[in-house]
Amino acid sequence: MNNPKLLSLNSTTSLISRFTRGFIQALIRINKQRPVTSSSPREMYIRHRRIKSAADKSMALAVRSRRNWSRAVLARFRKKRRRHVLVRRITTCAMKKRGLENKKSGHKEASHGQANELRRLVPGGEAMDLCSLLEETAHYLKCLNTQVQVMRCVADSYSTI
Amino acid sequence: MGSGDGHDMGVQHRSERAINCPSSGTSSNQLPKKVATLATSTMSMYKSSNVADPFFGSNWEPIVSLNQSENYGGSPMVSHTEFSNSPYGAIVMENQGIRNTSHFAQYPSDSSFVELVPKLPCFGSGSFSEMVGSFGQPECGQTANVGGPRNYISNKEGCNERTSTNGALSQEEEKISEQEAIEASPNGKRRKREPASNSPFNPTKNVEGKQQKDGESYDVSKELNEKKPKTEQNNGLSGKQVDEQSKDYSNSGEAPKENYIHVRARRGQATNSHSLAERVRREKISERMRLLQELVPGCNKITGKAVMLDEIINYVQSLQQQVEFLSMKLATVNPELNIDIDRVLPKDILHSRGGSAAVIEFGPEMNSSHPYPRALFQGIMPGIPNSNLQFPPLPQTAVDNELQNLFHMGFESNLDMDGLGPDGRLKPKL
Repeated sequence: MNNPKLLSLNSTTSLISRFTRGFIQALIRINKQRPVTSSSPREMYIRHRRIKSAADKSMALAVRSRRNWSRAVLARFRKKRRRHVLVRRITTCAMKKRGLENKKSGHKEASHGQANELRRLVPGGEAMDLCSLLEETAHYLKCLNTQVQVMRCVADSYSTI
Repeated sequence: MGSGDGHDMGVQHRSERAINCPSSGTSSNQLPKKVATLATSTMSMYKSSNVADPFFGSNWEPIVSLNQSENYGGSPMVSHTEFSNSPYGAIVMENQGIRNTSHFAQYPSDSSFVELVPKLPCFGSGSFSEMVGSFGQPECGQTANVGGPRNYISNKEGCNERTSTNGALSQEEEKISEQEAIEASPNGKRRKREPASNSPFNPTKNVEGKQQKDGESYDVSKELNEKKPKTEQNNGLSGKQVDEQSKDYSNSGEAPKENYIHVRARRGQATNSHSLAERVRREKISERMRLLQELVPGCNKITGKAVMLDEIINYVQSLQQQVEFLSMKLATVNPELNIDIDRVLPKDILHSRGGSAAVIEFGPEMNSSHPYPRALFQGIMPGIPNSNLQFPPLPQTAVDNELQNLFHMGFESNLDMDGLGPDGRLKPKL
């Protein structure tokens, strides 16, 4: 991914730098809160979830609210903070049920079925028509690429040092 | 008059063609011109000199097509109906400069034309030459009203023009075969918006395109349509024209009355308003798909929405999985080495310089943690130029202290993060 193509947003900083900064700060915070002393699977899992959400959140923050998907991600995080995890689990279960029902119900057009799947993948894509969904997907892909690159670098530097 | 008519017609053709080419969009131009030419016996109005009669037969079409593109100027010309009756009808329609819905696909016979004449209040026994003259008139600035465009009025009264046109039409009818004009371009109807194709267009097209605002003329034209043997053409045309009309109004690029995105119906394509919107939507979607094709690696050769969508979905899924794996990997990593990561990242990602190599040199095991930070810092400092993050050089302190100091200093100096508290703790930005 080329930097120039990425958002050049509020200031002169690029998407990568914004995301990197936020992500590393979050990483530091996480490491401080829960130092990697024990390697229990549960602990690992918790850290994993936190790091992943930190990555998503920092990416969404880097994009701010310019895109539908970033707004959806940030809204999701806000909801998480306000509600208990239990509630979230319940809603996710309900959503899964709904998803199954949808699959059983009708056969949709191939393109529609794919579009729906894409909607599920891209955050906040449920309420968008195909045209804007494709646009959001393009931007989301860009940001995902950035995210992967940064995280890979971080992981590499971690592992090498 | 008769001779003048022939000349007039020829002139009209020329002038109209000339007019059509440059300004198809200005409906007003054509209508007034035509009417004026017809109505006015002033040959001076014509740009070109008299043309032989043979012109009429073949030249009508361009004239007709001219008017077709216009229409919206909406000059409610009464002569509308009359024109339809005769081969001049095409011209009349043009003159009318009305919307597409024309019912004039057919040219009425002389008799019918004659019948019409009395119906039009303005029209009397005009001279053909006048009509021709009005047609040939390119200068008409606007379609104006039934009475005729301003130009006409300047030359003549509106009514006079009308009448003359009527007369001219009837005369011409004999000379020119309506059928030819009408049948000449069956496609004419569809192209309401193709100014370039005006010339080849049939008079039928014009007929369709022209809509008479004048109720009277409108009725008359309808009558004519019904009578004519070419009704089928007309009917089909009128049907389309209705759509076209509605579309013209909504989509007219020539008379942008509304803030719509004007879409033109292309040659050979349906001009239904729904299909136009559909086409725009489809084009948007295909444009976005092309964009995505560039983003997703290995999709250059893929053609087709379904396959492309599949690829996109797979790619998004794979990227999301990679994020998961990487976060899992990071979760197992010792966090004590964050400092160098800060340094390293910008280098690796943004600058891809060899500085990162210097960092890597230091890196034996993560687990051996404590002794590292200092060494790392020392080693890193020289090796790592300031990155975009612009962290200042760190003093040599204990790992944790160093980390904290680094972050504090770095953050305070460089970060414009809102969430950074006074104690250096990062606060989530929301």
